[in-house]
This record gives sequence, C-alpha cells and structure tokens, in this order.
Amino acid sequence: MTGPSEPSHKIPSDALGLGLVRDILRRTTDEEEARKALDPDVLGSAVRLPGGFAMPVQIERVLGFGRSFSFWPLLFGLACCAIEMMALGGSRFDMSRFGMEAMRASPRQADGMIVAGWCSINMAPRVVRLYEQIPDPKWVLAMGSCAISGNIWDTYNIVQGIDSLLPVDVYVPGCPPRPEALWQGLEMLRGRIKQSKHAYDGLRRIPAREALGEGGVTS
Amino acid sequence: MNAAIQLEERFGARLLESVEFRSELTYVVASSDWVEVLRFCKEAPGLAFDQLDCLLGDHLPERTAAPFEVVAHLVSHVYGHRLRVKTSLTEGQSLPTVTGLWPSAGFDEREAWEMFGIVFDGHPDLRRLLTVEDFEGYPLRKDFPLQGTVGGRIRTDLRGKI
Repeated sequence: MTGPSEPSHKIPSDALGLGLVRDILRRTTDEEEARKALDPDVLGSAVRLPGGFAMPVQIERVLGFGRSFSFWPLLFGLACCAIEMMALGGSRFDMSRFGMEAMRASPRQADGMIVAGWCSINMAPRVVRLYEQIPDPKWVLAMGSCAISGNIWDTYNIVQGIDSLLPVDVYVPGCPPRPEALWQGLEMLRGRIKQSKHAYDGLRRIPAREALGEGGVTS
Repeated sequence: MNAAIQLEERFGARLLESVEFRSELTYVVASSDWVEVLRFCKEAPGLAFDQLDCLLGDHLPERTAAPFEVVAHLVSHVYGHRLRVKTSLTEGQSLPTVTGLWPSAGFDEREAWEMFGIVFDGHPDLRRLLTVEDFEGYPLRKDFPLQGTVGGRIRTDLRGKI
C-alpha cells in the first residue's frame, strides 16, 4: 500500500459540499444550468422562488458538512502509533486547525475512533465496547500496519486487523505512519463525513457482533 | 563486595554457582533454598536488598534435566548494589512464592506462571495477567508456535463485565 485508502466497495466519492451549492445559487438564475451543475442524487430539483431558485439539500448533507469541521476522535491509543497521533495533536502539526483538537476521553462524546496500534486479543472486547459506546454516526480510522493487518505480529495474542471487529472507514498504512499521513487519512475521513458515508453503510452485520458471537444486527 | 562475602559466609556450598559479569554478580541456588536465600538478601543488615527489581522465568530446552529457570533481580537502595539469584526447575516443579518478602513479586510471578507454566506455591492470586483467562498453553516456552493465532480467542462472554 502506498497511501491512505478507503475500502473499494464504498459509494464513489462526490465532492459536492454546501459551499458549492451556495455559490451556484448565487451565480445562476437559470434552472437548467443549476440542474446541470448539481448532482441529482444529492440534491432535489431546483425550486423556483421569487428572485431565483432554491435547491433543496438533503438534511444529511447539511449535517455532514457541519460535522466535518468538528470531528472529535476518542482519546485512545493502543500502541506506538499513538505517539504519532499525539504529535499530530501537538503544536507542530496541530490538528486543531481542522476542528479535531478536542479528543474526547469519553466515548459518549466522541464522533469516532482512531485505532492507533495493535490490538491484543485481551484488549479486543474493550475496543469493541468503546466503539459501541460512541453514538451514531461514527467513523473509524485504522492507523498503522498493526491495526490494518496485525503487521509482523502474526502471533498468539494480536488481532489480525481491527477490521475483523469494526467497520473501518479509512486505512492509514505505515509503521508508524508519519503525522502527515494520519493527517491525509483524517482529510479522507472528513470527505466521508461531509458525504455522510459510513463504513457500516450496506453492511448486513457489524463484524464485531459477529465475531463476539452475538448474532448479526442489521444496520 | 561486602554482600557477596556475607552470602558466601552464610550459605557456603549451597550457592551452587557464582558468575561475575561486568561487576554484576549472579548466584545460582537450589530451588529448595530459594526463599531462604532471598529472605537473607532482604533482611541481613549488610545486604538490605529492599527492592525486587524484577522476577522472571526462562525456558532453556537444551538443559534437558531442568529446563526452566527463575531469576530474581535485586536492588539495594541502602548500599546501591545489585544481585541476581537464579534457580533451575524441572518441568512441572513448583517454587515457593516470595510475595511475602516483596509484594511486587505478585505480578512478576503471575507473568512467569502465565508465560512458562511455573507454579508459585502460596501465591495469593495466581491469575493470568496478559492473555485471556481461558488461554491454552504457555506462550513463551520455546515449543509454543511462533506464528498463528493459537491458544486464545476473543472473549465472547464479557458483555456487562467490562
């Protein structure tokens, strides 16, 4: 792997944010042009109002737009990758520029988790527990080779990839990834947040629930 | 070293072997002398090893007679000296606990039991420390498979307990 990547089966990206919608509304008074410029899957058709056109926007898009600027990860590190995550939080790389500075120590206040480092089999039920305590909608970023695949620790006590337990949105490879790589991964995550796309979209079962033998729950 | 003189005076031939490497001293004792030697190390005024730095197990399968070893690293904050005490064990042989001397031995002995299967008699709470409770096998023994998720599994019955 050469850079952060999203799971391939996910919906193709669509870069339309609310800013673009506002620009188009300001610029055009032509309904046809507005229709052409906007993705009909995202927006409804233009509605004529006195003085121009209004574009109905899916409420999820508006919420996603807002959420993407205040993504609060869970304050939670499993291993050495957490050091790089702290570096990103510190003054040199400064996550707070993107509204991510508030790493919540309680999962109930968090928007997602950065699984930073290997997860031992003893730790796995706790990680799943933390994931389940995060309120929906939630996003997961697997940081580092160990969280992605177990890395060299194909041994008795390491989970071989956290995606066997949690639906992962973005994978950031590296051992450990540089803070810039995590930053790029978080930017990709923000893209997904803006579009309100989740890794658990379209999954019939949450992997953890299956792995923990509780039966699947349709999502 | 004063401590060495005192130990050799007290135990003599019961110290089976002594090795000095870079001015660090190691004594090998019989497992039946384990607690007595360590108690003397802690309580004798001239030794005063008040800290058990670490206690660990070891597996040396090439020693067929007694393949297991327990090592105690002692530190004295009074005199600033250090000492290692070792003992050899056969498969399945247990060793008396030293938690009565240094309570910090509790975790170390739990780990040695978990990783090598060395039972410490009289330990107040000999539970698994790092692996899941129903783990099978002793992962730091040399015959434990290096590769593959073996022995343990992700616990399914912890809902409501963690």
